[in-house]
Amino acid sequence: MDFFERQEKSRRNTKFLVVYFVAGVAMMILTIYLVASVVFNVAGSRHRHHYYGYDYDSQVQMNQVPLWNPKLFCGVAIGTLAVIGIGSLFKTMELAQGGSAVSSMMGGRLINPNTTNLDERKLMNIVEEMALASGVPVPQVYVMDGEEGINAFAAGHTTSDATVTVTRGCMKLLTRDELQGVIAHEFSHILNGDMRLNLRLLGIIFGILCLAVIGRVLLYARGGSRDRNALPLFGVVLLILGYVGVFFGRLIQAAVSRQREFLADASAVQFTRNPLGITSALKKIGGLGESGSRIRHAHAEEISHMFFGNGLSAPLFTLLATHPPLVDRIRAIDPSFDGKFPPVKYPSEEEIPERIGRTAAPPRFPGIPPIVPAAVALGAVMPNLGTPNTAHLHYAVELRNSYPPALQTAARDAMGATALIYGLLMSTDSAMRAQQLDLLAQNTSAAVRQETERLLPQIDPVATNAKLPLVDLALPGLRQLSPAQYQQFSKATQALIEADGQIDLFEYVLQKIVLRHLDTQFNGARKTVTQYYALTPLATDVSILLSALAHAGSNDPAQCQSAFQQGAQSLSSLMPTPLRYVSSDQCNLPQVDTALARLNQAAPQIKKNVLNACALVVAADGVIEEMEAELLRAIADALDCPMPPFLQSAEPAAAAATPNAG
Amino acid sequence: MTALGLGMIILLGAIVVLFFVVMFVVSAYNRLVSLRNRYKNAYAQIDVQLKRRYDLIPNLVETAKGYIKHERETLENVTKARNIAYAAAQTAAANPGDASAMKNLGSAETGLAGTLSRLMVVSEQYPDLKANENMMQLTEELTSTENKISFARQAYNDSVMTYNTQREVFPTNFIANTFNFGPAESFVIDKPEEKEAPKVQF
Repeated sequence: MDFFERQEKSRRNTKFLVVYFVAGVAMMILTIYLVASVVFNVAGSRHRHHYYGYDYDSQVQMNQVPLWNPKLFCGVAIGTLAVIGIGSLFKTMELAQGGSAVSSMMGGRLINPNTTNLDERKLMNIVEEMALASGVPVPQVYVMDGEEGINAFAAGHTTSDATVTVTRGCMKLLTRDELQGVIAHEFSHILNGDMRLNLRLLGIIFGILCLAVIGRVLLYARGGSRDRNALPLFGVVLLILGYVGVFFGRLIQAAVSRQREFLADASAVQFTRNPLGITSALKKIGGLGESGSRIRHAHAEEISHMFFGNGLSAPLFTLLATHPPLVDRIRAIDPSFDGKFPPVKYPSEEEIPERIGRTAAPPRFPGIPPIVPAAVALGAVMPNLGTPNTAHLHYAVELRNSYPPALQTAARDAMGATALIYGLLMSTDSAMRAQQLDLLAQNTSAAVRQETERLLPQIDPVATNAKLPLVDLALPGLRQLSPAQYQQFSKATQALIEADGQIDLFEYVLQKIVLRHLDTQFNGARKTVTQYYALTPLATDVSILLSALAHAGSNDPAQCQSAFQQGAQSLSSLMPTPLRYVSSDQCNLPQVDTALARLNQAAPQIKKNVLNACALVVAADGVIEEMEAELLRAIADALDCPMPPFLQSAEPAAAAATPNAG
Repeated sequence: MTALGLGMIILLGAIVVLFFVVMFVVSAYNRLVSLRNRYKNAYAQIDVQLKRRYDLIPNLVETAKGYIKHERETLENVTKARNIAYAAAQTAAANPGDASAMKNLGSAETGLAGTLSRLMVVSEQYPDLKANENMMQLTEELTSTENKISFARQAYNDSVMTYNTQREVFPTNFIANTFNFGPAESFVIDKPEEKEAPKVQF
């Protein structure tokens, strides 16, 4: 099952969510109505008895319990729906901020990207390596300081606003390999589309759990006259019903999350090729006893489906379990597991010093570890998309260590990160560069220009295939910008790109990646709604994109046209009319921008076909060069399909990209 | 039945209104918490750079000592100012945004900046010192760190302003006062030149 199929599956599961939710709400309304009708009939009979004194009992007994009371039913239905609806809406709006909303809700503390604390540094290094290996920007990392158990979760709508949160227990009790296994599991969630599903579930669950909260509030409300003595009673009732809500909530969570845990475990093993890492992390959880992965925080209930291990106490019914049993999970990876959990030892002191000192042969110059090819095989492009494996991880470790320390440090603070991006946008021509630096000083300040000039000698030698990863590393630093500084930054990058008056597709896509990922933080997280399920409405956009790629590859019009044809041909079976080749003045940067934005709203399978076509266009001259490969990776990023770095050793999978893809 | 219907409607209305109120309070509270965390994180960025600077200064003083033999006082002032600023930064890091801590830090940093600029002026008169490689590298790193401090300071002050505005705006100000969200103080450093009283000439 490739990346696109997994995304598709996750999208379909989201539809099931709605079904479960509606069923759950309907049952809740019924239950509440039944209880309410009993309550109000009791209250009503006492009321009548009090006011009318004489014995109405005989008459009352005849219509004691009218099971169907339309007014009451409407009232209950409307009230419940209003509460659940408002609650879910409220939570969903709160979650618009992205993963950081969930992490802060759970009491997480944001780890400073340039932290010097050894445990935090170890964690950040692991996360950076995983991000480089997957081709996603480095997510924000949070720590739940008050939690001693071993647990973690990933939250967010897209890779732009993703956060990874771990407990303090994770940092203290796990070795580097085990921690890597846990983080790989979380990255699998990020790449499988689970995050989006989970976040939507969270919004919905909150509405159902609201009733329990309201019940608690009403319980302590003062009853006034005897007319209103039903109020605190109703509070008790709501409280009980709130727990009915909890029951249904957990049912829904369990239905959605259990299978995905097995999948994420398997992906993690594929990623790290180190089954020991994740199995021994799971064994440590078991070794800690009953509360190995327990989360004490009050909000644990709401996100229990997102945790690495079971965050709540053992469920009453296995039907309500959000996670498969530990032993089953371990056996799924390591069938020889005997079921006994060894006692937990704290990792020895020698473990903690970083592996930074242990790089292999010194790289030729920054950013080119020896295993990266100068040209990429066409067959290697699509299969690895969204499916990083161990080779990518090793490459990522080497790559990260090959960047000069000055660049690594610069990436982690705001000013350094902006200087890094400005440096990557600088022209190689010295006259143009001088002009750009002047523009930079005009748009920002002399200090920023000074910093950029300081870093330029180290940015220039960075190889082409190491530029995009550098951008991914710089995202944490860029996130520290204030909104005003971010505005300044985006204007400055625009000025730098427009300075030479020429269209440089690579420059443009680089800027697009940065702004796209930061946009979610500064302008609210976007939830891309899939709008296009067929290729036909997107015909113009695809033509623009493929034409732009063709023009970028060559100056000879005939060659461009034939390159375009190669790509268009692969899509011909999916479209009634053939794609039109567009001249270069009609596929300028703003148009490519719009085209990519629209293509981003397409279903996963469509994106797969489009990316395949792009790869064919780029490979039309017989070989995909480094620059073209990076361009492909950048376009894949713009379409929210993270592409791992290209490696020599990448095995073209059996289902290699062919001209007749689909 | 009529009384029941009326009571029902009132009850429903009460529930929904109460719900809205609760939701509003919770969301306003959460927003304040998140803005507060944001300025505290922004301060942490400044803190990292400040610590770097405080670590660089003793090296600077040591290097300069060999060359500047007759300006001992200048060097001593730098060290003293550095220690004062270091202590102020410790307090501020423990309580970012606290008015007195930030003001102390501001004045300590202003003092430090003043002594450093005087040191730079003095060292201009010693070409041997200026040409010393170690000195050049240190001054360059120092300038870079100061650039980063001012950049981070700008981000911090922006987030403090956002938080303070949210704190004072109606109706969030009720929530702020109920839950003791105090005002945050911005981080101000006066430029050394501005501290000199303008010379009035008639």
